[in-house]
Amino acid sequence: MNFIFNLTFREIRSSWRRLLFFFLCIAIGVGSIVALRSLIQNLSKTVGGDARMIMTADIEISSTNDFSPTEIEKIEAVIGKSQIVEARNEAITTATMARPVDNAETLSFVELKGIEPPFPLVGNFKLSDGAPFDFKLLENRGAVVSPLLLEELGIKIGGKIRIGEAEFQIRATFSEEPGGTGGFRLGPRVFIEKKAFDEAEITRNTSRIRRRILYRTSDNPTELVKALRENLKDTILNVQSYRETQENLSEQFDRTENYLSLTGLLILVLGGVGVWNVARVFVEQKRKSVAVLKCLGASGTRIIAVYLLQILILGLLGSFFGVFLAQCFLWFARYRFIDALPASMSYTIHFPSAWQGVLLGVLISLLFSALPLLQVRNIKPRLLLHDAAGEKMRRLDLTKWIFSIVSIAGLLSVSAWQAGSWKVGAFFLVGLGATSLMLYLAAFALISVLKQIKHFSSFSVKQAVNSLYRPGNQTRIILLAVGLGAFVVLAVQSLQANLVREFDFTRNQTLPSLFIIDIQRSQIDELKTILETRTGEAAQIIPTARARVAFVNGEPFDFANRETRQQQGQIGREFAVTFRPNLEENETVIAGRWWNENSDVPEVSVEEDMARRLKVKIGDSITFDVSGRKITAQVTSVRALDLRNTRTAFIFVFRPDVLEKAPLTFAANVLKRLPEVDRQRLQRNIIDKFPNVQIFDVADIVSAVQKLVNNFVLAISFVGSFVILSGILILIGSIALTKSQRIYENAVLKTLGAKRLTLTAILFAEYGLLGVLAGIIGAGFATALSYAVAKYIFEIDWEFDFGLMMLGVLITAVLVMAVGAIASFDVLFRKPLATLRSQ
Amino acid sequence: MIQLKNLTKTVRSGAEDLTILDDVSMEIPDGEFVAVTGASGSGKSTLLGLIAGLDAPSAGTILIDGEEITAMSEDALAQLRSEKIGFIFQSFHLIPSLTAFENVLIPMEILGLKDAHDRAEQLLIDVDLTNRGHHYPAELSGGEQQRIAIARAFANQPKILLADEPTGNLDSRNGGHIFDLMTALHRQNNVTLILVTHDAGLADKAQRQIRLRDGRVVSDEINHRDTETQSFLIED
Repeated sequence: MNFIFNLTFREIRSSWRRLLFFFLCIAIGVGSIVALRSLIQNLSKTVGGDARMIMTADIEISSTNDFSPTEIEKIEAVIGKSQIVEARNEAITTATMARPVDNAETLSFVELKGIEPPFPLVGNFKLSDGAPFDFKLLENRGAVVSPLLLEELGIKIGGKIRIGEAEFQIRATFSEEPGGTGGFRLGPRVFIEKKAFDEAEITRNTSRIRRRILYRTSDNPTELVKALRENLKDTILNVQSYRETQENLSEQFDRTENYLSLTGLLILVLGGVGVWNVARVFVEQKRKSVAVLKCLGASGTRIIAVYLLQILILGLLGSFFGVFLAQCFLWFARYRFIDALPASMSYTIHFPSAWQGVLLGVLISLLFSALPLLQVRNIKPRLLLHDAAGEKMRRLDLTKWIFSIVSIAGLLSVSAWQAGSWKVGAFFLVGLGATSLMLYLAAFALISVLKQIKHFSSFSVKQAVNSLYRPGNQTRIILLAVGLGAFVVLAVQSLQANLVREFDFTRNQTLPSLFIIDIQRSQIDELKTILETRTGEAAQIIPTARARVAFVNGEPFDFANRETRQQQGQIGREFAVTFRPNLEENETVIAGRWWNENSDVPEVSVEEDMARRLKVKIGDSITFDVSGRKITAQVTSVRALDLRNTRTAFIFVFRPDVLEKAPLTFAANVLKRLPEVDRQRLQRNIIDKFPNVQIFDVADIVSAVQKLVNNFVLAISFVGSFVILSGILILIGSIALTKSQRIYENAVLKTLGAKRLTLTAILFAEYGLLGVLAGIIGAGFATALSYAVAKYIFEIDWEFDFGLMMLGVLITAVLVMAVGAIASFDVLFRKPLATLRSQ
Repeated sequence: MIQLKNLTKTVRSGAEDLTILDDVSMEIPDGEFVAVTGASGSGKSTLLGLIAGLDAPSAGTILIDGEEITAMSEDALAQLRSEKIGFIFQSFHLIPSLTAFENVLIPMEILGLKDAHDRAEQLLIDVDLTNRGHHYPAELSGGEQQRIAIARAFANQPKILLADEPTGNLDSRNGGHIFDLMTALHRQNNVTLILVTHDAGLADKAQRQIRLRDGRVVSDEINHRDTETQSFLIED
């Protein structure tokens, strides 16, 4: 045992420089896994870790309508009996328009929240000056707002804003609001008194209002929630406990974490390829030492144990360094993404993730170095007597087969562990294998084509091409590794370009520039005139009603069921529904048929995704709650919606003669592209005239979405750059593997009269060529992937971006050329005599 | 006692079989100093390699102290070398990543000797390289490297010392020193020494000289000069 430890220590001492790449390959892989997992864990701890803070209560009962006296009675009947309810309050929220009283130009969409004391039941509410929130600030039409609103409207504390027809004075801004830790919002938050909300009649003509009754409890609220649900089952009220919200959020975060971990694992597996390459070089370089050790009496198993221990130690050290890199990544994330991430989020390493990363690093080190290390068994001590450099090692024997299978099984277990599912893990591994195989075949094909081209006028290019298939060349492995990196980065960049293009107004003429909703019947004519005068286009007015799905085939949703509860956000929400006799241009009936002229029962057409969620088919019935009235309609068709070519997108469309008598509001949209100033002015004019109306400026929504897309792309590109980095490490490892051959070739060429400049040109040509080939492979597959994702997942138009792909190929070529030249430059300065003598 | 019985070694060379050793038989008693000579390609090094168990014969048997080694596994052969055989190569074959001292230490560590450090220090004294122990092989001259290789070969107090042209890569002065050192250690430790050499002068100093030609023993003679009284002659 002493022999193993002593020799391991001595080997590391003398070989650490050669094994530095090994160390870095593992460090980068582990770093990415730990960083991504820590980021999600910290985010989950901040956002999802305490759903109670988000809900600002333990129990929430919500509705889009006023709570009826019967409903209140039913709630109180349960609450009254409970011993655990400590406090209660009510809140009301909506998205609406706010505009300064003293400025006729600006306006902003705001998320308005009417509250009553005690507030908050749970969570913190801190003002910008650090003082705690005092409810007195809201009394007598006061408002506490997000500092962002002051910026957007160009007003100061003390200034007045108009919401609906009421005026509010801004008394303070806040730095931390209860329940507010980011997420997608239409506008800045404004707090007012709930009473003022009602008094200002904001609710009168506004849709999308949500009313909440909130409770704080002294104990686990699960039983109470059950009792409330039971008592309220024939109503459309939503009852939710923070525990269920937490459960849902945790599940979502777990899924995200597992998928991101697979991205990290991809980098680590690439690192593993680097490890495999370095281990091969290492064993190759150690052949004589191994033969000497065998000659001195050491068994093959003991020698393998020495190298395995070495790998283990380096894997462990590399993994620890990876944890340090992960911390650096988190600091970078804080610097770069601070605006997009919750303010109170921690940016330190999540320790369980760090240990997991270290374990993975060691496992990958062992799995990928096992096969090359097995070559040690085949090194015969007789090579010390005869130069057996040309002696071929046996390619595959039974032990190697067994180790290969064990390695693949190990990799599968690691993937499944990271993905949290055997199925996903297997898909990941098969996907990675298939991608690698395709890249490898592409590399093979390209080299074969190159081989056919016999005539090169330049000596340097000819030599460079020859060196791509010299014996023991690493061409395919370099093309595979670097090509994979270029593939990931270029695919993401290409998708970004297509996504951004999709949201480009100048190209999407069918996307409206303004959406106007909550128009009252009495306002239609005047609004139409304004729109037509200002835009020159005829306004399209669409009747809408607010409806919720109460029953499907007579059955209410069973929110006690976990699967149904997870869909609550999609199926339990309030929908804007409409009626019309015709199909729109962007709609296609994919099942059933459009209205039956002779039918006298209410009919409804359902959008395909919703039909799937509700599990409804043609002939089923859906009962809607439209402002307290129940309407049961038969599903007669399922529609596909082309969202790219749309002025409107209704999930439920009714046959005429069903909804006409329901409380209706109207929507309108403006297609014409107006300059921003004109758009703002038009909005302001409409709001001044019709304060109840709400206007969505699509440009604002698009810019918010673009910001999200950009952050997403930046994050993926960042991860992609790690893939490239792993590829570069593999490249450096491969250069090391062929270095002695290159030194010998250069010595011969120098002896034959080649100048250093010629040799330099050969070097640049060789790596330039490799880079171009890797770039072409990456760009080719990136184009295919971005096309497939754009077409079949995002369902957007796709365009080939020639400039981007060319730039990608160029950058890859320059990068590979630079790295290759730097790693081999010393070769040019070796004296030929010493090299030739040593051969 | 080393016994070789009808030893044959053939290797594949292209489409043909090439016989390197052809039906070689001999016995070498304990403590004898044998020189094996012959032209290049006569099979000298192969013979030495087979005795050390570095390679397996195509036919015939090798017995060391009555134990047949041709049937042994690789690990058993390694164990045998560790306990009984020291080897000195023409091109030294020190492990480049270890210092001179560690190179001497290695065989004792493989065997798990407890006094390895003290013994390695003594061996460095014996080969007169006490002050070079912390140097790496690349920092030593050829002569110094071969002295380290000799110290390493004697580390486990082997019964048999096999030397494959140990002076072949050295100038004559250094070669002379190495030969003297080797033979002195052979006498002190009473080991069987088999020396493969091209050098007729060195072969003459052995107790017995075996000549090989085309893989066959063509002569096996006892030298009548007493090596103990001979001093090495410097040849230019």
